[in-house]
Amino acid sequence: MTHSLLVRPIAKREWAITAIVAFFLIVVLPLLNLGGLVSDFTINLWGKYLCYALLAISVDLLWGYTGLLSLGQALFFSLGGYMMGMYLMRMIGTMGQYKKDMPDFLVFLGWERLPTFWTPFSSFSFAMIMMLLVPGIVAYIFGWLAFRSRVKGVYFSILTQALTYGASLMFFRNDMLMGGNNGFTDFRFILGFDIRSPGTKRGLFIVTAIVLTTVYVGLRCLTRSRFGLVQQAVRDSENRVLFSGYSSPNFKLFIFVVSALIGSIGGALYVPQVGIINPSEMTTEKSLEAVVWTAVGGRGTLIGPIVGAISVNALKSWATRAYPDLWLIILGGMFIIVVLFLPKGIVGIPGMVSDWLKKRKPRADESEVISINKPEEEAA
Amino acid sequence: MNKAWFFSIMAALSFSSLSWAQEAKSVRAIIAEAVVLTEDSDAQVKLVNSLTGMTDPELEPLLDAWKGGSIYLVEGADDKYIAVTLAGDPDATKKETALRLDTKEPLKDAQGTVVRVAPARAEIAETDSSIRRAMKSLLDLSKLTAPNAKDRMLAITQMGMERDVAKLPILEERLKVETDSSVKRAIQEAIALTQLRSPDKAVRLAGCTSLAEIHPLSAKDSLESVVKEALKAGDKELLIAAKKALEAVEAHRSIVNFLGTLFRGLSLGSVLLVVAIGLAITFGLMGVINMAHGELIAVGAYTTYVVQCLFAEGLALSPFGMKLSLPGMNASGWLYEMYFVIALPMAFIMAALVGLALERGVIRFLYRRPLESLLATWGVSLVLQQLFRLVFGSNNVQVNSPSWLSDNWTINDVIFGWNRVFVIGFAILIVFGTWALLSKTPLGLLIRAVMQNRNMAACLGVRTERVNMMTFGFGSGLAGLAGAFLSQIGNVGPSLGQNYIVDAFMTVVVGGVGSLIGTVASAIGIGVVDQSLQQILGNPVLGKILVLGAIILFLQWRPAGLFATKTRSLES
Repeated sequence: MTHSLLVRPIAKREWAITAIVAFFLIVVLPLLNLGGLVSDFTINLWGKYLCYALLAISVDLLWGYTGLLSLGQALFFSLGGYMMGMYLMRMIGTMGQYKKDMPDFLVFLGWERLPTFWTPFSSFSFAMIMMLLVPGIVAYIFGWLAFRSRVKGVYFSILTQALTYGASLMFFRNDMLMGGNNGFTDFRFILGFDIRSPGTKRGLFIVTAIVLTTVYVGLRCLTRSRFGLVQQAVRDSENRVLFSGYSSPNFKLFIFVVSALIGSIGGALYVPQVGIINPSEMTTEKSLEAVVWTAVGGRGTLIGPIVGAISVNALKSWATRAYPDLWLIILGGMFIIVVLFLPKGIVGIPGMVSDWLKKRKPRADESEVISINKPEEEAA
Repeated sequence: MNKAWFFSIMAALSFSSLSWAQEAKSVRAIIAEAVVLTEDSDAQVKLVNSLTGMTDPELEPLLDAWKGGSIYLVEGADDKYIAVTLAGDPDATKKETALRLDTKEPLKDAQGTVVRVAPARAEIAETDSSIRRAMKSLLDLSKLTAPNAKDRMLAITQMGMERDVAKLPILEERLKVETDSSVKRAIQEAIALTQLRSPDKAVRLAGCTSLAEIHPLSAKDSLESVVKEALKAGDKELLIAAKKALEAVEAHRSIVNFLGTLFRGLSLGSVLLVVAIGLAITFGLMGVINMAHGELIAVGAYTTYVVQCLFAEGLALSPFGMKLSLPGMNASGWLYEMYFVIALPMAFIMAALVGLALERGVIRFLYRRPLESLLATWGVSLVLQQLFRLVFGSNNVQVNSPSWLSDNWTINDVIFGWNRVFVIGFAILIVFGTWALLSKTPLGLLIRAVMQNRNMAACLGVRTERVNMMTFGFGSGLAGLAGAFLSQIGNVGPSLGQNYIVDAFMTVVVGGVGSLIGTVASAIGIGVVDQSLQQILGNPVLGKILVLGAIILFLQWRPAGLFATKTRSLES
């Protein structure tokens, strides 16, 4: 009704482009790989990029759309990864170094029998349920506590940072029985397929592409719905939303849990493709890196994080080989430049250029039009 | 045999000063005399014992030489042996000059030519077990009477660890004449611990009683084994005495642990405070989230390192493939020890300069966008970390503590490290200085005005841009000071700042943003709670996790921190 009058429907052209890109990712690329035109390495690399894109989307859903800068997304990403990792560890069976039907590190720690909480992870469906439940519950409890006491802005960032830090300390411990420092690795099978064969890698890539497309389409609809509008209103002026009678904490909590789940799914798809998960994935730096992808791609759009995740990681793959010493400086510098000069990221460049041209026309004598000092929308 | 030589020691102990005065022979002469009595080991023992009470520095090396086989016997003109050492100047036939042991003069034969001996052929002066034992107790004893209290302490600790019942009388003898109170205590402890080993029940009981009085921490294991033995033997009297002593020791231990934990908590709190106080200014007062704060700390630490190297041998760096070598002053002694005094202001200045550059280059564009200042400064922090790696290498660098920071006081078994005492004092000084600057100086007035209402201050003619710069520079300089201090108690490496940044933010948030007193309270609170949890749980990591959890829960109760700044505005 009023809603449909106020919101422009998503253009057919956009759906068409989405469908073409999705078709290319899900069908064409794997076929090219099968035909030998695209190497197995490339497929594996792109599978990783798409997982990163899922993580970036989850960051953007919180930061770009709701104004919550969470530094804990890497925690949810690795929690998902760990749940998948536990399943994969069980699938090694007796092929480990100690030839026992339990993970090597447990044998090493002197366990005679599998600890109880490990046993059900030999079922794939159980692992997948836990992959959603564990990060979901962590996000729900933390979000409930945080939003109830109206923690917002930078305080939310600092608290999520502390949460991630605490969790990584916990996972570094051996008596957590989650592999400690070394985490999980040396995987062999997933659902009966050899995890190292090109076919499995292709399959994982296809699954990742399908999940990413689904998440993208789902969120595109969600952010356009009445719910999405409230969500963006929370970002722009939370007090007005509260005074209009909406319970903003519940909106934020819902979005926080959803983005935790998206991050977790990304992590669960990531682990079988890279073959390792350890607590170093669970740091604030990793969360912040995902924030860079989002910022570089363009926050507040859904395509931005995907573009950002893929382009920054492609740049990383190149730079860490060509200039290993300078990569962190490039990354840091990129961050500063994007924040200062490109608040809308790569996706926003065409818009900025056309704005600039429009403003330039009436008063051609004033060259300094884009003022970096101009306050953007209130972020806190 | 054992008893025999022991009594001879006792006799020697009582009369030694007398006999020494009569004969007035040098240690050298007596040993030379003893060495040649190869037939009569009893006489040798007697002579060795007669050395008791002599405080000649040559005593120990000479006895060691005898034991170690570097004293040789040469047959003299009258078929008697003469003790010699070799000068260590081998000629073509590998013969060395023989030196008389008693006079150190070269040994001459009847014709007056110097005797030369090949060590491989010469007869070594042997020692048997009774002589060696006599030597050992002689040396122990001579150490017990050393003029320096520290040396005596060392000797007593060693003797106490032996728990040799035979040495009890020696210790008791010493106890009577000992004047230094801490050495006296150590002797009492050694005696009591040794008494527990005695086969005589009355002696053991006495040991338990005196242990209950002096309750040393080291007595726990021995007392426990006595309890076990007493249980086995069904000796009730001994059991009660030992248990009583054990209780006294445990009570003392819990007091020591409590005080130690309190002290460690205070010093950890001070470290947190020093680290967080700069942040309390840039974040608390200015509202800038500076994720590069940790790297400013590292700047301070690396400055300390560079200053230290300049005081010593200098420094060779190779940033970006360039060779850069700084000459050093090659200072030593007290001048070198003073490097830290120079390093402190240098660390402040360097970090303040980096902070100023950061403020001018990045942060001034982002005052109204705190979330974005978080991101941009994180970018800066990555760049700085990598620069540290490129300039100083990715390994930790070695910063030596000056000696006036590396000792400790031990008061009643509680250890107070000087560096920790120093950080507490240092933190008090910094807090006082910051408070004075903010509330007693014109600059402080301007800072507070700008932080309360930037526009109003600008309208009244305050140059807010400049005040921002100064404030940020000051906050950064404080981070540099923190770094100089952290270099004394931990590792200095590229990721030094990352280890403290989470803690620092937590401290400021818990204390209440914008409140200096809140930062002080929360730093000390977190420090003490952290150390107590470590003590209780016996696991540092678990303690840290619990502290983080507790902070999240605490913010439920007081979302704005301990000392919240009251405001009527809706958007804080």
